[in-house]
Amino acid sequence: MTLNAYPALYIFSVGVLPYITVIVFIVGVIVRSMKWLSAPRGSSTPLSLTAAIRQIILDVILFRKIYRHDKLTWLLIFLFHISAGGIIFGHMRGFKLWSAELFTPLGEGFKNFLVETLPIYMGYLFIATQLLLLLRRLSLEGRKLLSHPNDYAALILLLATSIAGQGMRITPPEAVDTTYTVSFIPRLVVLHLEKIPSVPWFLIHVILTQLFFMYIPYSKLIHIYTGVITAALYGSRRSEYGL
Amino acid sequence: MAYERLDEALKTLNRRQLLELDTCARCALCTDLCPVYAESKNPLHAPGVRSSRILSLVNKRLSLWARLLGPRPLPEGELEELVESTYHCTLCGRCMETCPFGLETHELWLNVRSLLNLLNQTPPRIKMLGEMLEENGNPYGLDADMRLDWADYTGLEEAPVKDRAEVAYFVGCTTAFKAVNQEIAYSIASLLNELNVDWTLLGEEEWCCGSPYLLAGDREGAREAAERNVEALKARGVKTVITGCAGCFRVMRWEYPKLLGGPLPFRVIHAVEYFSEHITSGDLKPEPLDARVAYHDPCELGRLGGVIEEPRIILKALTTNPVELPENGLEGRCCGGGGLLQAVDDELRLSIVDARLRQASELGVEILTSACPSCKLTLSDGVRERSYNLEVLDLMELLARQMGL
Repeated sequence: MTLNAYPALYIFSVGVLPYITVIVFIVGVIVRSMKWLSAPRGSSTPLSLTAAIRQIILDVILFRKIYRHDKLTWLLIFLFHISAGGIIFGHMRGFKLWSAELFTPLGEGFKNFLVETLPIYMGYLFIATQLLLLLRRLSLEGRKLLSHPNDYAALILLLATSIAGQGMRITPPEAVDTTYTVSFIPRLVVLHLEKIPSVPWFLIHVILTQLFFMYIPYSKLIHIYTGVITAALYGSRRSEYGL
Repeated sequence: MAYERLDEALKTLNRRQLLELDTCARCALCTDLCPVYAESKNPLHAPGVRSSRILSLVNKRLSLWARLLGPRPLPEGELEELVESTYHCTLCGRCMETCPFGLETHELWLNVRSLLNLLNQTPPRIKMLGEMLEENGNPYGLDADMRLDWADYTGLEEAPVKDRAEVAYFVGCTTAFKAVNQEIAYSIASLLNELNVDWTLLGEEEWCCGSPYLLAGDREGAREAAERNVEALKARGVKTVITGCAGCFRVMRWEYPKLLGGPLPFRVIHAVEYFSEHITSGDLKPEPLDARVAYHDPCELGRLGGVIEEPRIILKALTTNPVELPENGLEGRCCGGGGLLQAVDDELRLSIVDARLRQASELGVEILTSACPSCKLTLSDGVRERSYNLEVLDLMELLARQMGL
């Protein structure tokens, strides 16, 4: 079976949906940005770059403040973000942003562990932490949270995307030692596969991933980038107070 | 509901605040540390829920969809819930310090109070404060000529009101008018006299610092108060303003330059900063007590004011047995005395202070100090209400006492 075993679905998910994804994502970012930019500027204080970077590293990357108050939640959030980072980094290899040769100096065995074995465990970790964070949210519902349905939609969509991606990884591939190229946007977004993965899982994963990307600017997942901005501004303000 | 007014009020939220609302809404990472939520257990009092309520108004009235398809009306009770959420907050800034994204919620909540003020939705008891401020220049409705009565009540011999002086002691309304706090004024004045400082009071010319105006969402009132006080201080050629009130300190040091659009012609410091320098230099040598003494960080002095080390320098000079409370410094636990909560829900204020007093009591603290008249008032109310066996003092009172003044 080749990747275009389901021609109509393949053409839609690889040839059409990527353009829709890019447009919907950009429109979303513009709409959100317009909402923010339509408001008055507010008072501006000079930005201390070192304080801003320090705050981003400590609070957004290491989640220092959550660690101080709630070790269990910190562990879940930290592992969730670490596995997400690892998975995003792994995907970059498929898009030729780095190659497995990067790890050759570490030895063939370790290289294989990093590019073949570790991603599978990262996938399990990613799914497990999402499930636990979802359970945490459900347990807080009504007591500390009054969520909207779209808060759950974002989590469920990400979970489904990750499960499909993991399914693609753990089910036997359609063909090994056969490279395959998937051109989402010619010359710009091209995926290079070293083996042909399980086709149904691949197509589900590709479609869900794009739906997830489209949803980011319309959901609370927007904190992926607003959080970095606000943390930087806060770090700068603390240095103004001499803290 | 006049929707035009609502839309205009919502437009006062600035860019960063809209971005913060989008990041904050329906997150619960800070909820457990919110002193109000911790006692009330009402989700409406949780910071993330408050943000989502404001965001819901913004999205209904001002979002792109609202512009394309027309703004949506508010369901019944939505604004009332926002008022309850906004005023069930001590403005302690703990959510800000806890937030991994560093959202400046303290400023955001103050801005929401301004927004509600524009909509004439300020709770009635807080509106009354505004009327008293207008009439008397203090939130207690007392005549301005009673501002110096504390000196008579406490038997202070020298309380100068000069035409010119290097240093001005800005007493603050809660210290000058509340009997439980008048010893703080006596202590600071006595310590200044002990150091032979060229100092003055503003007397009847002292006006509310503007903090209650800000807490009630009246930024213009705060600006007028700032202008009035700065003029009175400038006229005396003052170089340094000392205050023993954490609220006055924060507003004068950090808000006045913003309200007046430029730096002040004098420096503003809290009494703990001033006297800690004199302890370090050896000018003041208090006799240390043999008692378990703890210091409670006032939110407006520590987390929101940036003064954390200085009170601890004083504490170490005052006792051989200093005790550090849990949740201190930047992570200080609010006593419940801020944000005008007392005017809205006094029972809740007393529950919040009880949690703090329990922490002190469990550590065997004999004297609980602070550096804020609102904290002293609340901690004292809590001790009286629940019969704790500890003494509540301002750090300045203990310093003066150990100096034999």
